[in-house]
Amino acid sequence: MLITAGVDVGSTQTKAVLIDDSRAIRASAIIDTGGHISKAAERVFDEVLSTGGLCRKDVSCVVGTGYGRFKVQFGDIQITEISCHAKGAVFLFPGTRTVIDMGGQDAKGIRVGLNGEVDDFVMNDKCAAGTGRFLSNASETLNLTLDAVGELSLRAERPVRLSTVCSVFVESDIMAYLAQGKKVEDILAGVNSAIAARTIALVRRVGIVPEVTFTGGVSRNIGMIRALETKLGMPLNVSPQSQLVGALGAALWAMEHAESAVRS
Amino acid sequence: MPKAIHQGLIHDLQKNLMSHYYEKLTRAAETRQEKSAWMLISGNPVELVRAFGFLPVYPEVNALQLGVRKQALPFILKAEERGYSMDNCAYVKADVGLYFSGLKAPFATIPEPSLILCNYVGCGVYLQWFEHLAEYTNAPIFNLDIPTVRPSASEGLQGKTQAGTAADHSNAADQRYVMRQLEELIAVCERITHRDFDEAKLRRIMEFSRETGELWAQIKAMTRTVPSPFDAFFDAVTMMGPLYCLRGTEECLDFFRAVHREMTERVEQRICPLEEERFRIVIEGPPPWPFLRTFRDLFSKWGAVAVASTYSTVGGLWEFGFRHDPDRPLESISEHMLQYNLTNRSFLQRYEQIRRYITEWNADALIIHSVKSCRLFSAGQGDMREYFSKELGIPTLLVESDLEDPRYFSEAQMRNRVDAFFESLAHRKSVRDREAGTC
Repeated sequence: MLITAGVDVGSTQTKAVLIDDSRAIRASAIIDTGGHISKAAERVFDEVLSTGGLCRKDVSCVVGTGYGRFKVQFGDIQITEISCHAKGAVFLFPGTRTVIDMGGQDAKGIRVGLNGEVDDFVMNDKCAAGTGRFLSNASETLNLTLDAVGELSLRAERPVRLSTVCSVFVESDIMAYLAQGKKVEDILAGVNSAIAARTIALVRRVGIVPEVTFTGGVSRNIGMIRALETKLGMPLNVSPQSQLVGALGAALWAMEHAESAVRS
Repeated sequence: MPKAIHQGLIHDLQKNLMSHYYEKLTRAAETRQEKSAWMLISGNPVELVRAFGFLPVYPEVNALQLGVRKQALPFILKAEERGYSMDNCAYVKADVGLYFSGLKAPFATIPEPSLILCNYVGCGVYLQWFEHLAEYTNAPIFNLDIPTVRPSASEGLQGKTQAGTAADHSNAADQRYVMRQLEELIAVCERITHRDFDEAKLRRIMEFSRETGELWAQIKAMTRTVPSPFDAFFDAVTMMGPLYCLRGTEECLDFFRAVHREMTERVEQRICPLEEERFRIVIEGPPPWPFLRTFRDLFSKWGAVAVASTYSTVGGLWEFGFRHDPDRPLESISEHMLQYNLTNRSFLQRYEQIRRYITEWNADALIIHSVKSCRLFSAGQGDMREYFSKELGIPTLLVESDLEDPRYFSEAQMRNRVDAFFESLAHRKSVRDREAGTC
């Protein structure tokens, strides 16, 4: 049986997935990336191998993806997270035609062809507005954990309208609303709404075709899922493994390479 | 990884020519014996200025020389200290910073201007740049007001227009208007140089330009062959130095004769700038000068060769038929200024030019490099991307950095986009090849 791995080194977190040749996920792991990218890749790989009860020699091919893909020194191939997210999203939801991915510093839209190939893509440029960083800055200002943001924002009654989508200046905007006595949940709903609007404007450049699959760390935020669905007027595919989609896609690419090597 | 393996003799020749050009400028700055005219690249009347013996100086070229040597930032910061905004054109700031550094660039000293000739008014920032320079240097300024070429009402996007046969878009009144201004310019040049206008000399200069244009057009047509003998973006910028700084001289013509010989041999021997030409691309927009090599490597890695580029036509559009005409000197110069340079053309005409490149040069994809500090040139590129990718179905990648300011270049972001784009192109190509049974 062939086993392959995908290691997705993101700006905030590093993820790894092991799959076998029946395309079943054997194990997964997520750690914080920190300052040492190569070490993060090594650590997450060791962790996923340990969880899966495997050792390095059992793995036929490793694909590195994410910004740190060239630092996955044990990797056999590097593939961008755009190709990997498309692959992973179509695997989880075969009807996927558009992927919205929101990570720590990236927001991207990918239009996927009928066979899971990338038809077009667009990413945020030179600005972290509308990414996970915006959310984490907002939650830090409100002294909340990131995981609390989603549920709390759903309790909003009168969401505020943020005047900025700048990840730095959002702090002063939030302070101004707090000074006006606005409720935390209304502010959070405003934060989600601002990011959703910016992301949708970005993704519209490639054309939003259903089904839409939402991936990346921010997809854990239920408030963001609802904000995107409301603005788009359509439901989103969101997997409990959506944070792992990049690593899963990398593992799937690795499996294709491993199988093709076996064939030849 | 395919690397650029054959840079060719032309690069050495160009280096020598440009060194001589800058040595000449330095000598002129030191001796103050020669008159210099500061001009812009876009469709300029350098032939006319040369006829009076002015040494042409191009602040844009000086700025890009700072950029490509990774020396622009201190000059940009110097201009920002004086109040130029972060969002201002980085060429302008690098050049203004150079002025306030005593015109001493690390590669040359630039002579003070005897004439500031603003020959392109399509960019309001450029107009003000030259007005600022005139104020700083106290040199006389002459603004040539060149009407922008507008597509006619009947002009559509697909196939109805012919880029390069734009004579009908610019009416006779526009041409008379420009020629009248050239006559005024002649009088100004006579006053500054104390020389009478010598039409025979102008005709001789025009003949050099005519032959140079002819060779350049033939050289650019060679990239239609597979594999392309040179990269029509990264190698074309090498040829653009002599084309713009030395056009109208024998040494420029000799350079293009040498380029023509070398490229003809490369076509015959099927020599490509990369080990393997996997993708043929068209590039729109200028290069990020401070990261030229890095930018080139991003494409070389994928075996992508530019077979055409719009940037190589910013100073003149020769490949679709224009030639300087020694028998009609002023008419021909005004045609060049009005119709036959990229920047004086509308966005729709730019679309058409690119569409022709993709079709006639048999390209696989379009790459748009957008310039952060130039909204004039970049503002419509979002629509351009939509038009080519959605309406014409041509794989199109838009990336953004800057032509001069290194602070806008993020290598990781750029690499990610370029890699993802070519991953998908490579995937599509392999699927196509599989279906066609070629692999």
